[in-house]
Amino acid sequence: MARLSSQTTTHPSRRRTQTIDLFSRWSFLTPATVILVAVLAYPIIYTVVISFSELSLATFSPSSWVGFDHYVDALSNPNFLNSILVTGIYLLFALPIQMLLGFGTAFLMNAEWKGRGVVRALFLIPMVVAPVVAGGIWRQLLDPLWGAVNWFIGLFGAPALDWLGDPTLAMITIVLIDTWRWTPFVALIAAAAMLSLPSDVFEAARIDGANWWQTLTKVTIPLLTPIIAATFVVRWLGAVKMFDIVLASTKGGPGQATNVVNLYIYEEAFRGLHFAEASAMSVIVLIITMVLTAVFLRASNKLEEKF
Amino acid sequence: MTHTPRKTARRAVIGGLLATAMVVVAGCSSGSAGAPEGGGVGTAKKPVTVRMIANEAFANQWQDLMVPEFNKKYPNIKVQIDGVPYAELLAKSMLDQTGAKPTYDVIIADDPWIPQLAQTGSLLDLKKDAKQWTEDDYDWDDFYAAPLAAGEWDGVQYGVPVRSNLLLMFTNKTLYKDAGVPVPTDKLTWDEFFEQAPKLVRDTNGDGKADVWATDTYFTRDSLTPTVWQTVLNSDGGQLLDKDNKPAFDNAEGVKALQTQIDMIEFAPPGASTHGFNESLEAFRQGKVASLFMWGSVFKGTAVDPKTTTLTPDQVGIQVMPVGDKMAGAHRGIWSAAVSSKSANPEAAWALTQWLSSKEGEVWQANELGVFPARKSTLASTPHAGSEWLAPVFTALAEGFQAAGDGEMWRPRLAESDAVQQILATETARATSGEVTAKEALKNAAAQIEKLLG
Amino acid sequence: MSIAVRSHRTQRRVGHQVRIWAGVIVCLLFLFPVLWMVMTSFKLPKDIFTVPPTIFFTPTIETYTSYLQYADVPQRMLNTVIVAFGASIVSIVAGAMAGYALARIRIKGAATLGVLILASRGVPPIALAVPMFLVARNLGLADTHIVLILAYCSFLIPYVMWLLRGFFVALPKELEEAAQLDGCSRMGAFFRIIVPISLPGIVSALIFSVILAWEELLFALVLTNNFATTIPVAVAGIAGDTVNGANWGALAAVGTLTVIPVVLFALLVQKWLIRGMAEGATKG
Repeated sequence: MARLSSQTTTHPSRRRTQTIDLFSRWSFLTPATVILVAVLAYPIIYTVVISFSELSLATFSPSSWVGFDHYVDALSNPNFLNSILVTGIYLLFALPIQMLLGFGTAFLMNAEWKGRGVVRALFLIPMVVAPVVAGGIWRQLLDPLWGAVNWFIGLFGAPALDWLGDPTLAMITIVLIDTWRWTPFVALIAAAAMLSLPSDVFEAARIDGANWWQTLTKVTIPLLTPIIAATFVVRWLGAVKMFDIVLASTKGGPGQATNVVNLYIYEEAFRGLHFAEASAMSVIVLIITMVLTAVFLRASNKLEEKF
Repeated sequence: MTHTPRKTARRAVIGGLLATAMVVVAGCSSGSAGAPEGGGVGTAKKPVTVRMIANEAFANQWQDLMVPEFNKKYPNIKVQIDGVPYAELLAKSMLDQTGAKPTYDVIIADDPWIPQLAQTGSLLDLKKDAKQWTEDDYDWDDFYAAPLAAGEWDGVQYGVPVRSNLLLMFTNKTLYKDAGVPVPTDKLTWDEFFEQAPKLVRDTNGDGKADVWATDTYFTRDSLTPTVWQTVLNSDGGQLLDKDNKPAFDNAEGVKALQTQIDMIEFAPPGASTHGFNESLEAFRQGKVASLFMWGSVFKGTAVDPKTTTLTPDQVGIQVMPVGDKMAGAHRGIWSAAVSSKSANPEAAWALTQWLSSKEGEVWQANELGVFPARKSTLASTPHAGSEWLAPVFTALAEGFQAAGDGEMWRPRLAESDAVQQILATETARATSGEVTAKEALKNAAAQIEKLLG
Repeated sequence: MSIAVRSHRTQRRVGHQVRIWAGVIVCLLFLFPVLWMVMTSFKLPKDIFTVPPTIFFTPTIETYTSYLQYADVPQRMLNTVIVAFGASIVSIVAGAMAGYALARIRIKGAATLGVLILASRGVPPIALAVPMFLVARNLGLADTHIVLILAYCSFLIPYVMWLLRGFFVALPKELEEAAQLDGCSRMGAFFRIIVPISLPGIVSALIFSVILAWEELLFALVLTNNFATTIPVAVAGIAGDTVNGANWGALAAVGTLTVIPVVLFALLVQKWLIRGMAEGATKG
C-alpha cells in the first residue's frame, strides 16, 4: 500500500502497470479475506492454543502448557472415536442420497408452467423451519405411541416401529430428517444451474438426433460438473457440522448410536465445560475435514479438466 | 541450503507464533475485581438497574408478574431478566461472570452449578458481604437444610433458594383403581412397585393390545436421567461418590439401582427408551401411564391446568419416591439466586434475591405463581383460596426435603458436577438402550469419573 | 394451441405433464411434516399427543395470541431479519467477488487461499463461538447486531464463494474478452456483464444465505443476551421449558410464523431465476 502511494515517475511505467494490475486482481479477493481474517483468526488461534493447555475457567484463558495430553485423551476416548464413526456412516448415506434427489427434483421442478415459482418456493420450507422445531415435529410423527407415521402404517396391519429407539432405525431416521431438510438446498442450486445452461447447445444436440440419455450424459452432466462439484463440497462442509437435528430428535441416542462428532464436541464444551479438551477434538475434526476436503477438491478439479 | 536449518527456523517461527498467541490470549482476559461500589437501592431521581440471567422457562413469568410485585416494595430498582435455555444457562453464566465487567448482577443457578460458579471467585458471600444489607427478620434457620445447602459451597453461602424442586412420584389414581391395585402411599417400596407393575399394563379397549402402562420417566441420554437411579441408590443408603470424591457406585448396590431404572422400561409405553422430560410428561398427562417419576414443579401443568392436561387435581397423587432398603427417596433440584461480586449494585441485587427468598416473597410466589418454597414456615402454611391444589404438594415437599437431607440425595457438590453428570448420562443411556449391561455401564462411568476428578 | 400431428410432440407434451405432476407430488411429500406443524400450531397442548393422532379438532388461535405477547416475538423477528439480510448481502458481495477471482483471474496463491478459506469451515462452530464472544466482550460488542452479522459472514462467505465459483467457471470465456476490448476495467466487466448473466446462481446463493442465517442457533445463543436475540433462540427456550414441558403448540406456531417471511422473500426474488440470461450475451 505504502509503496503504491509513494510511487515516483522514476519507476519504469511497465512495472507500475504491473503493480496496478496485480492490485486490481487482488482487489477481488480482498473483501472476503479481510472479513474472514478479522472474524476467524483469533478464534482459530485461541482454539489451537487452548488445545495444548489447561484452561482456567475463572478467566477462560490458558493456564499451563500440557503439550499433546488432550489429543492423546481424545484419541483414546472410545465415545469420541465412536462419534467420528457415526458421523462417517451418516455422511456416507446422506450425501449421495441428497445429491441425487436434489438434482432429480430440480429437473422435475424446472418444468415450465404457471405454478412453478410457488412450488419451488414452498419446497424451500424444510430448510427454513428451525432445527429444534423440525426435530421435534419428526419426533412426534415417528413416536411409537402417538406418532402419525406408525398409526398410518398400523392401518395396513404393520407393527409400530420404534424409529428412535432402535440403533439402526435411529440412524435411518437421522438420514431421513437430514435429507428432508437439505435436499431442497441441492435442488435450489441445481435449478439455478440448469437455468444457466445455454440452450443453443441443447438445440445442437437435438439437431444431431441425440436421445435424452445421450443428451444427459454427453451435454448436461459435463456442463453441470463444476456446479455439481461445488454443491457437493458446500453440502459436505455443512453436513460435517450437523448436530442440531440429532439433538432435537434423538439426543444422540439410543445409547450412542447417533451421537455425531459435532454434538459430542458441543456437549463436551458447552455442557461439560471442558473447553480445552473440546478444542483438541475440534482441531482433530478440522484436520480430518481439511484432508477430505482436499481430496474432494482434487477430484472435482480432475473432473473439471476432463470435461 | 540444507534442510535442517530451514526446518529449525520454521519450527522456531511456529513455536514463536504459538507463544505469542498464548500471551495474546492470556492478555486479552485480564481484569481485576475491585471492591464493588454500592449504588444502594436507588432513589426516585436515580433508580438503579439490576440485571438477572435465568432459565428461559421462567424468565418471562418473573419479568411480567414477579418484578411488578417486587417493585411495590422497592420502586427504584429496575429489574431486567434475560432468559437462556436450560441446557446452555450454566455455560452462558460462566462466560459472563468471568469477564471484568459482567453483564449480570444476579445469577440463577441450578442445584449442581453453585460450586462451579463459586470457584471462579465471582460470587458474593451472602452471610458476610451482604450482611450489612440483610433485614433483621430474614430468618436463615427457617429454611429446610437441604434446599439451603444447594446454595452453599466450601462453607460459604453463595446462593439462596428461590425456586425449589424435587424428583417425586406422580400417580394416576384412576388407573390404579381401574386395575384393582391399591393407590400408592409414601410407604410404597420398590419391591411392591414392581410387583404391581405388570397389573397396570392393560388393554382397555379390547383390541388385544396394551394401551395403558405402569410407569414412565427419563430414559434417554440426558443429564437428568441418572438422577432416577441415583435416588434409588441413595434410598438404599448408597452414595455416588465417597468422602474423597472417588466413585462409590461401581458395586452391587449401584448395579441394583441402575437395573431398577432399566427394568421400568418393560412396563413403560413403547418407545420409552427414548423418553425424557417431555415425552414421559405427555404420556402421563394423556392418562397413558399410572405412575411417573418426575420433577414436582410440573404438578400444576399436569393436574390443574385444563389446557395442558387431560387429568384433574383429584386424580393425580404426588408423593416421595418409593422406599428402598433405608428410606423413601427424593432428589433435590433447587434453583438458587446468587449475587455477582463484581456487580456495580450489589445492594439492589441482594434486595431482589432477599425478597424472593423471604417469608413474604415465598408465600406470594407459591400462591400466585405456583413456585415451590423452601421455608418450613411456608410449607406449614395453608394455601390461599384458589391455590388449594398446593396442599398435597406442600406435604410431599416437606417430606421430600427431609428425606433428601437425611440421605444426601443430590448431585455431586463439585466444580466438575456437570461433567460428572454428562458421563453418567452417556453411560446410563447406553444401559437403558441395551447397548451395554448395567454392570459394564457403571464400570465405564466410574473409570471416566475417576480420571476426570484425578 | 395448435393440434399436434407429429407423435413425438404429443409424447413430449405428455412427458412434460408427467414432469410437472411428479414435481408437485415430491413437493407435497416434503411438505407433509410442515403441514403437521401448521396443524399442531392450532391445537391446545393436551390435544397434541393424543392416541390416535387427532386429525379433526377445534382449532384455537390461542397459541398464537398468548405466545406472541409472551416471548417478545416481534422484536426477535426484527432482529432475525436485520441479521439474516445484513449478513447475506455482505456475504454475497464479498463471496461473489472472491468466487470470481478463483474462477477466472490468475493470481499466484489464490487457489491456496481459496482452499484455506474453505477449510476454515471444518472447525466445529462451538469452538469458534466462545472465543468470538470473548473478543466481542472485550470490544464492547456483545449482544449487538453487528457482531452476529460478522459471525454469520464467517460461514456464509466461504459457501457463497465456492458455489458461485462453480457458476463462473461454467461461463464462456469470450465474455470478459469482449468486455476488455470494450475498455472495461476488470471490476467494471464483473459488475456490468458477469453479475447480470449469473443472476440465477447469485439469487439462489442469496436465498441459501438468508435461510442459513435465518435458522442459525448456536452463534446467536452464545453471542447475544437480549437486545439482538433472534427467533431460533426463542424457539430453543420454549423447547427447553423445564417447568411445564415443551409447549408444542407454541413451538409450532413460532415455527410457522418464521417460515412465512422466507417463503415470501423466495417468491419475490424468483423472477430473477429465469432462463436466458446466459443467452444472447455471446451472440451480440
